Amino acid sequence: MKHTITTAIFAATASLATLPALAEDITVGLLLPYSGVYAALGNDIEAGFRLGIERYGDQAGDSIQIVTEDSEAKPPVGLAKTRKLVLQDKVDVIAGVVSSGVLGAVRDMVDGSKVPLIVANAGNDEATGAQCSPYITRMSFSNQQVNRPMGKWMHDQGIQKVFTIAPDYAAGQQMIGAFVDGFTAAGGEIVGQEWTPFQKTQDFGPYLAKAKASGADAVYVFYAGGEAISFVKQYDSFGMKADIPLYGAGFLTSSLYVEAEGPAAEGVIAALHYVPTIDNAENAAFVEAFTAANGRLPSEYAVHGYDAARALTQALAAGATDRETIAQALRGVSFDGPRGATSIDPATNNIVQPIYVYETVRGEAGLTQKVLATLPAEADPAGGCAMAPAG
Amino acid sequence: MSQDLGFWAVQTLNALQLSMLLFLLSIGLTVIFGLMHFVNLAHGSLYAFGAYVAASVASVAGFWAGFIAAPIAVAVLGLVLYVTLIKRMRRSGPMPQVLITFGLIFALLDLTRIIWGDLALGIEVPAILSGRVSVLGVEYPAYRLFIIALGAAIYAGLASVLARTQIGAMIRAGVDNDAMASCLGINVERLFFLVFCMGCALAGLAGAVAAPLLSVTPDMGLQILIPTLIVIVIGGLGSLKGAIAGSLIYGFVQTFGAALAPQLSSILIYALLAAVLVTRPTGLFPAKG
Amino acid sequence: MFRHTPLRYATLAVLAAGMFAAAMTAEYFGLEILTEIAILAILVLALDMVAGFGGMVSLCHGALMGVGAYAYAVLAAKAGLAPPVAMAAAIAISGACSWVIGAICARSHGIYFIMATLAFGQMAYSYAFDSAALGGDDGVSGIPRLDLSAIGIDLNDGQSFALFCLLALAAAYGAAVIILRSGLGRSLTGIMHNEQRMRAVGLVTWRVKADVFGLSGMIAGLAGVLAAQHIMFVSPGLLAWTVSGEALVVVILGGLGTLVGPLVGAVLFVLLKHEISNVTPYWHLVVGVILVAVVMSRANGVFGWIEARVARWQAPRVISSRKEQVKNA
Repeated sequence: MKHTITTAIFAATASLATLPALAEDITVGLLLPYSGVYAALGNDIEAGFRLGIERYGDQAGDSIQIVTEDSEAKPPVGLAKTRKLVLQDKVDVIAGVVSSGVLGAVRDMVDGSKVPLIVANAGNDEATGAQCSPYITRMSFSNQQVNRPMGKWMHDQGIQKVFTIAPDYAAGQQMIGAFVDGFTAAGGEIVGQEWTPFQKTQDFGPYLAKAKASGADAVYVFYAGGEAISFVKQYDSFGMKADIPLYGAGFLTSSLYVEAEGPAAEGVIAALHYVPTIDNAENAAFVEAFTAANGRLPSEYAVHGYDAARALTQALAAGATDRETIAQALRGVSFDGPRGATSIDPATNNIVQPIYVYETVRGEAGLTQKVLATLPAEADPAGGCAMAPAG
Repeated sequence: MSQDLGFWAVQTLNALQLSMLLFLLSIGLTVIFGLMHFVNLAHGSLYAFGAYVAASVASVAGFWAGFIAAPIAVAVLGLVLYVTLIKRMRRSGPMPQVLITFGLIFALLDLTRIIWGDLALGIEVPAILSGRVSVLGVEYPAYRLFIIALGAAIYAGLASVLARTQIGAMIRAGVDNDAMASCLGINVERLFFLVFCMGCALAGLAGAVAAPLLSVTPDMGLQILIPTLIVIVIGGLGSLKGAIAGSLIYGFVQTFGAALAPQLSSILIYALLAAVLVTRPTGLFPAKG
Repeated sequence: MFRHTPLRYATLAVLAAGMFAAAMTAEYFGLEILTEIAILAILVLALDMVAGFGGMVSLCHGALMGVGAYAYAVLAAKAGLAPPVAMAAAIAISGACSWVIGAICARSHGIYFIMATLAFGQMAYSYAFDSAALGGDDGVSGIPRLDLSAIGIDLNDGQSFALFCLLALAAAYGAAVIILRSGLGRSLTGIMHNEQRMRAVGLVTWRVKADVFGLSGMIAGLAGVLAAQHIMFVSPGLLAWTVSGEALVVVILGGLGTLVGPLVGAVLFVLLKHEISNVTPYWHLVVGVILVAVVMSRANGVFGWIEARVARWQAPRVISSRKEQVKNA
């Protein structure tokens, strides 16, 4: 896929005359899955990104062109497309990357060729830990960031014993691992853990029976996409929600597909960095603009794209003109966005943002998210990341 | 972890439920193979198509409307495929037919994406089946019991049709030796057509049954294809007995594997398949000795 | 048995010239595509050897390629072996795995053979996915390419690497021809046509099948080694059954049992995929329809169709030349 759509936005208003008068041509490569299991996520991120450029592009003072490439969520394809964006299209900056596998595959390439990459989804901890790079800035989340504070919060609610279930792959292990660390540090006990074969599990029944027999106060899970829908429905069908409430990383009941889960999702409590019902002016404006453009509410994926675009325009507005200066400027990005106070931690280049605990409840127009608590923003530990300080 | 009798009862029911879902899928595939000697790789895609039809109809007219519409819609699709593609390829051997169905996997995958989009769909279990039933002292979802009962009923129905009716005798004759059956005055072509459409309808029914349990996604057909193939190959191609035996083996190995040896559960079933094929190269209950 | 006809020579010459010209003139992404074609071509050569000349339609060749790729990745990137040693070892490992699979599956035929190979392929996939030593879902990164700086070639350059892969393709093609023309290859084709008779004349048929399957696995392993070096990263997706399925599609699209046809198929498949995915994200639909159309045409793939056309056109002359041969004899 290679729609080269030109979004030419020039510094028009005289009030911005303090900016450098010369408009640069900045080319952004959007590397997203448009086919395969993550196609819906790719489309949501692109919609958010385009909305962000539309809204904040005129602050950048440059003409911004977007080139899109389909990563198919396959690491080899993602890497080949990244090489094409860097070497042939000569883009100034890349944004996107949904799957952690793709991020792991392209990491050395973007680091070696010194092309800034704004990560708009993939959450593997290493990308801003041991594998961090001054050229990789993450505007989405990290697996540990979303889950760690939830451990303490749940223990504070009086939950003592938890059973965890997650798919058996890197992201599942990191999400659950961070939750377990937070929960046990607060004094809780993990009474059992199950790992299901990733994307090969049709029936969660065997695992649910084990969770039920474990005597836990609550079950904490991480699932996303199709697996999340199956899991939530099957959990409800066994009637377990009443006895053992279901908690999880917020992708479990993402606004993108919560309607497919239906009543089964009601009462599930989860932690996430964004839900469409966050109460602030920035979010109200974002939700309104996104809904007007796309006819549906924005999800956390859309906000990744939107904030990635905003971070880029802020870097450009600060005077960045090429790959090197954009990468440096991205490390100092900070703004009040739909997710609240959002900034980049220059020590790891990971985003720092509040985490929202929300419950899925029935509203007037279907299922909606009721924010129960806002957990304060916390920078991830460096986790082996050693980078030169931003210059 | 305390694992009492109730725990094992639930796991047994889970295994039966998975087995019956796979049985609905594999019976159509295996009888089509028995008669026509080719494996319809697009069977999983037909199942996905059935799930989408069920989800769309159910959102307007309720679960049972979708439950009835899905097999009919998939049978019609099967009819179209048979008339336009399969029938013309009848004489060109099994490999080209397998490849046509491989092409259909690709085409149907993208067609469902174009028609229904990339977002997952879901439908609700009908009110009458949404509760739980007490079995051996444990609560078990009524909908899952419904799947077990439906699978058992369809098995019983097919078994009696095959064993006692004239059409059943014709199908058995066709599986045994289609040339001879044709000489005896059986319209084998019409039999093929009938069986193919029936197999498709059952795939559609499986899709409708699975839709409230799982999520309806474009790749659900690809996900179910390999388990279904494993079932019919372990059981032996072409026989009803093979399909039910293979389904039960798969369901129990998968469920109890997940309960007892979760680390091995993803490899276990493949190892079993390899072991069966090494010791009995045509499966456990092949249609022809 | 495999024979070169003038048409096959001509096709090979056109392919070689076209690929070489492409390597010399293509821009960056063109070279990537060319490399992709060369690697896929090596894999489908390996598959055509067993499927087209031995009736062993394998659905585990993608996994065998993955075994080669992973073996090279682990040996070169993790164990720190020198790339040439790691390459040789990786090819030997995938050959050995392949021989074992071939030996175990030798008794199965038709759909059962397909399913048995699928089972082994899926076992390898599941193992790579679950194994922490192999990096699990994240795969292995930081894989070095072969260092040919001693003779003044830098394989990290896209053009040099594309030429290197084309050279490997030529070598693989040569190896496949030699194997198929040897006593072993002839025995295999004999088994495909009548296994009982070959057994009756005293051939240990399972050994023949296993041996050729093992050699084919080595060629698939070579494709895997090159794929690992090309992308400098391996992940479990490389072993998924859909890779094997696509390879089978390429063999059939090109022309089963013609060895040259699958090469044509590889070129067409990769070019089609890239051209169509430039226009629409629904490229699967277009490829699926083309596949159905090719099979419906009842030709043996694109190359088989051309061969049949040429044969009909040449038919009178062929007969007369045969008469001459008879006279001369």
